[in-house]
Amino acid sequence: MTRVDRSRPPAPSAIRPFDFPDVDHRELGGGLDLRVARTGGFPVVSANLFVRAGESSLDEARAGLAVVAGDALEGGTKRRSGTELAESLERLGARLGVSTGWEGTTVSLSCLAERLDEAMGILAEAILEPEFPDDEVARTRDQQLAQIRQRAMDPSSLAADRAAHHIFAPGVPYARPLGGSLASVERLVREDLAEYAAAWYRPATSGMVVVGDVDVAEVEALVRARLGGWSGRPPAREEFEVVPATRERRVWVVDRPGSVQSEIRVGHVGVERSNPDVYALSVLNTLLGGAFTSRLNLNLRERNGFTYGVRSRFSLRSRPGSFQVSTAVAGDVTAPAVREILGELERLVEEGPIDDEVVAARDYIAGVFPLRLESTGQVASRIVEQVVFGLPEDYHRTYRDRIRSVTTDEALEVGRRHVRPYEAQVVVVGAAEVVAPALEQLAVGPVEVVSVG
Amino acid sequence: MGILSVPVERHTLGNGLRIVLSRDPSVPVVAVNLWYGVGSRNEAPGRTGFAHLFEHMMFQGSEHVPKNKHFELVERAGGTLNASTWFDRTNYFETVPSHHLELALWLESDRMGWMLPAMDQEKLDNQRDVVKNEKRQRYDNQPYGDWDERLQRLVYPERHPYHHTVIGSMEDLDAASLDDVASFFRTFYVPNNAVLTVAGDFDATRIIDTIGRYFGDIPAGAPPPPIPGESDLSPLIGETVRDHVVSDVPLPRVIMAFRIPPYSSDDFAVAEVARAVLGMGRASRLYRSLVRERRVAKDVVSYAFPLLTGASMMLVWATGYPGASPATLETALSEELEGLATADGHEVERAVAVAETDLVRGLEQVGERADLLSMFDLYFDEPQRLNREVDRLRAVAVEDVRLFAANRLGPDNRAVLVYEPESSR
Repeated sequence: MTRVDRSRPPAPSAIRPFDFPDVDHRELGGGLDLRVARTGGFPVVSANLFVRAGESSLDEARAGLAVVAGDALEGGTKRRSGTELAESLERLGARLGVSTGWEGTTVSLSCLAERLDEAMGILAEAILEPEFPDDEVARTRDQQLAQIRQRAMDPSSLAADRAAHHIFAPGVPYARPLGGSLASVERLVREDLAEYAAAWYRPATSGMVVVGDVDVAEVEALVRARLGGWSGRPPAREEFEVVPATRERRVWVVDRPGSVQSEIRVGHVGVERSNPDVYALSVLNTLLGGAFTSRLNLNLRERNGFTYGVRSRFSLRSRPGSFQVSTAVAGDVTAPAVREILGELERLVEEGPIDDEVVAARDYIAGVFPLRLESTGQVASRIVEQVVFGLPEDYHRTYRDRIRSVTTDEALEVGRRHVRPYEAQVVVVGAAEVVAPALEQLAVGPVEVVSVG
Repeated sequence: MGILSVPVERHTLGNGLRIVLSRDPSVPVVAVNLWYGVGSRNEAPGRTGFAHLFEHMMFQGSEHVPKNKHFELVERAGGTLNASTWFDRTNYFETVPSHHLELALWLESDRMGWMLPAMDQEKLDNQRDVVKNEKRQRYDNQPYGDWDERLQRLVYPERHPYHHTVIGSMEDLDAASLDDVASFFRTFYVPNNAVLTVAGDFDATRIIDTIGRYFGDIPAGAPPPPIPGESDLSPLIGETVRDHVVSDVPLPRVIMAFRIPPYSSDDFAVAEVARAVLGMGRASRLYRSLVRERRVAKDVVSYAFPLLTGASMMLVWATGYPGASPATLETALSEELEGLATADGHEVERAVAVAETDLVRGLEQVGERADLLSMFDLYFDEPQRLNREVDRLRAVAVEDVRLFAANRLGPDNRAVLVYEPESSR
């Protein structure tokens, strides 16, 4: 046995090629976009149905309707009660989940491949023939109201919601919590949900994505059989402008007396999903705060011991979402932590990244790509993303090359365009008594203490 | 043949390091996963939380790997990595593009064999601060954040190794020194107290030689000492014990926990099925009754902890709506637990079907597969057990579940933890 040279990292062996699975793509009658990817391995299948019924199409008075309607799909159909629906699926070992975001609602089904036909029939029934019985509507609404109360007392959710409120101008949908407010959810009744579903759960801008150890022709046949009669087009989405709440840097202290820690969010309006800068921004964000060895984490965690972790991210939506740095730190180091975060942002846009960091970030993003495509559910999510945002056919196949071609100059250029430390809103959820005076002294912007609840 | 046929191959190096191999070249990705036979149960009194702090120190470099290089090298390679500490074990894992397999082996072997030369006071102080922030973030600043600490105190007697939490006491952490790091390392981080699993895309003809080159010259240590305290305990709590907390939680919550047979017991499968009947899926008893029909709970949870030492723990919880009385939740939970003693065959079939799909889905990722293989090897000396997991659940009969409910979930074996919002008082 040869001894190994421990003094330096071993060289990699020959790289094995990896490609995104082939995706068969066709449009069914009614306009439903069907995409099927065959993957080997385990005998499981994921089927995700995306309907373009998202929260961003609702005005403030109806905020939360898309979320509650989506959740209430499990309340039963014209043929089955909610419990019968759940039992029919779970006896097959199938799992059904509904999640609603700004862009739409995704109903995700997973089951063993041999049970897909039957499970797909139940999924189709849930979306085509929802019943929304009064008691189930009341329950789903009450659960959402309780959820809203829970968010208000959970420091991390509260910080996220307050940051959105201070980043986006009033009236921009992204300024409010995704799931609506007590006022908007309280008044939801059966008719609201039934009308909403009838109008918005339509195939013309929807997509069905099936991934697993399946035969493409068989899947097409069974989806046609189950969803072939579905027709119609949802209303056109209302376009909206994304306007920042302010361009002045300000500090908002959301008072939570007795907090042993401060939740910090620092951010401003970012970019939309279709912006051509997103590749270079992904690289830039990775080296700033998207990985463990990013600048922010090495500073705040590994050098200063302020936090368990810190991240930055651009929320990519059909309209510009936010750019945000988020962390939680001990109360007494809140001001130093804010100083370091703003300092890192300023340094980034003034001096720019260095070549070595850019290479490391590119290699990380390109390298982890296949790691996140191991399961059928992961592959299905990526394909759904293509449907949601209308990404090009070759998007996943060319993704890593595009990332690898980002240069240091490009990273700096997009950074200067999209990272604006002097316009950032600093939101701190913590004990105002402890943190506000120190934040005043830091003098990075006017400090306002707000109480919530 | 069962539904699962994950390939499993076993070896042992001369220094006692156990190796599990499971090849699957379908995606060019490989997982390297190490389980060490040490967790919070091995902590001496006055040293709680140390196993977890030590886990953080394992990322602070080793003789040939400078601080932060471990993370940096794996991330540059396009890999992901982490570690976790639990009651009975500590695990470390990387998933990397398969051409970087040797990098992961180099990193893991360097800290298994050559960690101590890289340790210094500054790193210890820094990671102690990081861990304190982890505790603040995950426990102290969270509504309901102290639930596990309170529950463990109710379910396990003071001298039992599960009486204290994994995160431990911050006062104990303050007392930790570099000498403690060194002695913990020499006592527990020895190859004969570890399992290394490599799963995914690797060259079957070379892998054992490669592992041997990296790990083979790490000397074996003495067998780890016995677990401190008193591991043996009565199978039942003996009564209903309670803790009533009035605090700034948003909603009332009632958590009920029970002592159940340890993970190593054949009866543990019954507990797993029972908990799935109760709370796994939306056709489960608790969801159907408390959430859907009676609408007394906003959410319900059930869980069976796979713990080895003396007795394990199962729990159910229900979160109520604003203003609801915790007593209503407790009564509703009790009724469903009693009802389980007359569960029918369909309920058990449904529970097993759902548990089965969840298990198989979990295995789609090599990291998950490697983690289970390491666990089954370390705990039961039998990684092949992974392929029989489904059969083990399917073998549970409705009579077993009924008997389990009657014998284990009654008032003579309950810990009841109630959270009541301050504002409702």
